[in-house]
Amino acid sequence: MSESENTPQGEGTWAIANVFASFNNTLITVTDVTGAETLVKSSGGAVVKQNRDEASPYAAMQMAEGVAEDLLAQGIEGVHVRVRGPGGNAQKSPGPGSQATIRALARAGLEIGRIEDVTPIPHDGTRAPKKNRL
Amino acid sequence: MRLAVTGTPGTGKTSATEALDRPVVHLNDVVREEGLWSERDEDRDTLVVDLDACREHLGDWDGVLESHLAHRFEADRVAVLRCRPDELESRLLDRGEPAAKAAENRESEALDVILGEAVAAHGPENVYEIDTTDLTPDEVAAELAAVAAGERDPSAGEVDFLEYR
Ligand SMILES: Nc1ncnc2c1ncn2[C@@H]1O[C@H](COP(=O)(O)OP(=O)(O)O)[C@@H](O)[C@H]1O
Ligand SMILES: [Mg+2]
Repeated sequence: MSESENTPQGEGTWAIANVFASFNNTLITVTDVTGAETLVKSSGGAVVKQNRDEASPYAAMQMAEGVAEDLLAQGIEGVHVRVRGPGGNAQKSPGPGSQATIRALARAGLEIGRIEDVTPIPHDGTRAPKKNRL
Repeated sequence: MRLAVTGTPGTGKTSATEALDRPVVHLNDVVREEGLWSERDEDRDTLVVDLDACREHLGDWDGVLESHLAHRFEADRVAVLRCRPDELESRLLDRGEPAAKAAENRESEALDVILGEAVAAHGPENVYEIDTTDLTPDEVAAELAAVAAGERDPSAGEVDFLEYR
């Protein structure tokens, strides 16, 4: 993934993709760079519970592809990504996770700019040390 | 038997484990009393826990360990308490917590942050998800007792709270 200094700012229209990745669901909303206007709202790559293994990665990849197509059609060339939640788990990921979603956006032809992890931290007077999630 | 009781703040861990008729280690208190932390997170008015120091302090622990960090430690079973995020946020506000803290914990719960960590660390075969949204603390305690007694099957990802983010 390219770093922010490599992104061709000003050459095309860029947007911000917000990826919400939970244990078994993924959602993407894309806004303009000011955050004011929503360009695309994904319907969510929800896992069919009874059929989690097959349904999940497929549904979310499809969703990411659909979002990318829609953005390219709107003249968007690349996205900065804001990720909330890693999604799934390391053992046997039911959700595709944020990584796979970003890869799917890139594969569909979008340039990927800055990737920011804004996953919330559970806290109650104490919290765990931060680890790198991306 | 080591039972770790974890869950986003506001899911009712302290209330439910206090209703259990067995000794419980409330790790949040221990961290403060024993100084098991490394730095302050000023933005969150929170202590960053020194997990290794906690491990050392806990040693060969046994029984019930209660904390939103309980899944970070070795355990035989991990109960993950859940609560619908809008209800969780109002529980925290009612407990007198600042709005920013209630909101970040609500979002954490909506994204299954702790459930994902618990399953990653312990495997789906050792995780027991309990939705407390419509349960009383006594009912949650009964579920915990069932988990400890081996009367419950493992479960994870049975709730989808993403729309409450
Ligand atoms: N099962 C429940 N139903 C409704 N309210 C609850 C329940 N359990 C706890 N509460 C209330 O919600 C707040 C958070 O509970 P607490 O036990 O402190 O949670 P935690 O230890 O997980 O942060 C407290 O004010 C408590 O009285
Ligand atoms: Mg507590």
